[in-house]
Amino acid sequence: MNSDGVVTLPPAAAPAAASRPRWIAAAMLPCAALAAWPWFAGQFVLHLAILACLNVLIVNGLAIIDRSGQLSFGHSAPVAIGAYAALLLGSALGLGTVSATLAALAVVALVALALGWVILRLRGVYFVLVTFSFAELVRLVLLDFSDLTGGASGIAGIPPLSLLGLSFDTRERFYGLALVIAGLSVLMMLRIFNRPLGRAMTAVAANPALAESVGLSVLRLQLVAYVIGSVMAGLGGVLTARYIGFVSPESFATSASVAFITMLVIGGRGSLYGPVAGALVLTPLPELFRGAVQTQHIFYGAALILILRFLPGGIASVLQRLRQARRPA
Amino acid sequence: MDWNLVLGQATVNGLIIGLLYLLMAVGFTLVFGVMRMVNFAHGEFYMLGAFAAYFCTAHLGLPFLVAVVLSALGAIVVGSAVEWLVLKPFRKDELNGMIATIGLAMIVQNLALIAFGPNPASMPSVAEGTSMLFGIAVPNSRLYVVVFAGVVLLMLYVFLRYSRAGRALRAVVEDAETAAMQGIRARIYYPLGFGIGVGLAAVAGALMAPLFSVSPFIGATPLLKAFMVVILGGLGSIPGAAIAGLSLGLLESYSSLYLSSSTSDMLIFVLVIVAMIAFPRGLIGKGEA
Repeated sequence: MNSDGVVTLPPAAAPAAASRPRWIAAAMLPCAALAAWPWFAGQFVLHLAILACLNVLIVNGLAIIDRSGQLSFGHSAPVAIGAYAALLLGSALGLGTVSATLAALAVVALVALALGWVILRLRGVYFVLVTFSFAELVRLVLLDFSDLTGGASGIAGIPPLSLLGLSFDTRERFYGLALVIAGLSVLMMLRIFNRPLGRAMTAVAANPALAESVGLSVLRLQLVAYVIGSVMAGLGGVLTARYIGFVSPESFATSASVAFITMLVIGGRGSLYGPVAGALVLTPLPELFRGAVQTQHIFYGAALILILRFLPGGIASVLQRLRQARRPA
Repeated sequence: MDWNLVLGQATVNGLIIGLLYLLMAVGFTLVFGVMRMVNFAHGEFYMLGAFAAYFCTAHLGLPFLVAVVLSALGAIVVGSAVEWLVLKPFRKDELNGMIATIGLAMIVQNLALIAFGPNPASMPSVAEGTSMLFGIAVPNSRLYVVVFAGVVLLMLYVFLRYSRAGRALRAVVEDAETAAMQGIRARIYYPLGFGIGVGLAAVAGALMAPLFSVSPFIGATPLLKAFMVVILGGLGSIPGAAIAGLSLGLLESYSSLYLSSSTSDMLIFVLVIVAMIAFPRGLIGKGEA
């Protein structure tokens, strides 16, 4: 926006505006091809693609919390709560898979609201540590209340999701669903952060005191981000449980939260495409190191440090730089 | 059952565990104080210290005391080098520094897995027999650990309190900028602070190695406990960490008399979360908010 408050289009903006849809169209084609590829590439690629889509959803949830200025080190907690709440509520109330999912998301939202209202008063590393402790607490509770949750052996034989009589029991079908949901989560991020709500969240992250002084409620904005982000993670948890057919508390250990942070940081914390890039790059990566989990983790660790050091904007910032280089200044 | 005896036994056990927590937490809080960095690799240095002690005694046949000293010195050197080579760009950068130490922890743990394999090894006991203290039977090996930990803490106290380097380090913890104005070279004290911090973790690992088994995964629990202690004691506060460490050890030991260990773990987590919200600067010490 211009500093004098009058929005005038400079002459150079007209061709740029015209080339924008063309640029998007040019980018859409390879993206669509990439998204359609798993359907033709066999079960294994399909499996990885489903996991990547679910990770996109979950890491987008982490990204929205991060962009409001708080880094959650317990993002496995809403994933776990979502997954378990859907199963337990579904069997206790005799709900269908879709209504159980909705009920679980309501539970996640309520927990995030209550917890966030209290813990979002903490800043920086204190917030990190309290979310970390909460995720550990959730895991211990899931392990300990074994008559309900199955304890360490978890819950197996989870029926697939079925929507309007259509059962998502094959990988082909489930991939379609996961792709749509991941795409919607990206669109939602785009919409939120192109609107006053997202701008306000970014402002709160950049300088809470200044944001507060111009009338933005830091707590309220971070709470909105925290609830939305947790619900996205909860949905990711529900879908993962339905897809894999099995959950156990160990799926939600600290390493899961670390994996989400790794994806976010390597993908790019500041960019809307960062979570997508991180999930797409890091989800299939274990397959490169098959049989050598240690090497994979060493690679993750080294990548984390190197990206933080030399490329703080993550993979997404490289894409952005390429795009800017292509576009004449 | 003699209730006094049971309580006494629980006190002794609690003090031993509390000393472990204390050593871990003091190092952790020292690193945070110097660099404003939550060191997620702290537990891995505990693990390395335990392995160093194991190798020195079981393979090289060195006495336990020498093994502990060697593992501490090794950790100080390695820790300083790691700080200088890897963590230097992240000083005072709380969140990115923390994420970098997560990466460091992943690297160290998995290197250890490749080098030592996943199976736990057990170290020979350092001393035989038991002693009677105030009518309570204490295994000599545990007594040994308590005495060593006490000596290490005393040395740390003297170092921080009276030596030139220790006073400079405390000055950096207090206020790095003012310390720099007084001519204290942060260039030296950042690596040194990190090295001493993780050196304490290595001492804790080396001392606990004969009591528990040694494997690449043993760092996780002490790290978690160090978090809790430091939160209760106030991040960056050394006296807070000391008091909270001993209290947490005793609390766990007493609660294990009445509750199952998972229930007491959960209650302690709840306590930590409540404490952090109600007293963000720590229950005991005055941490830096």
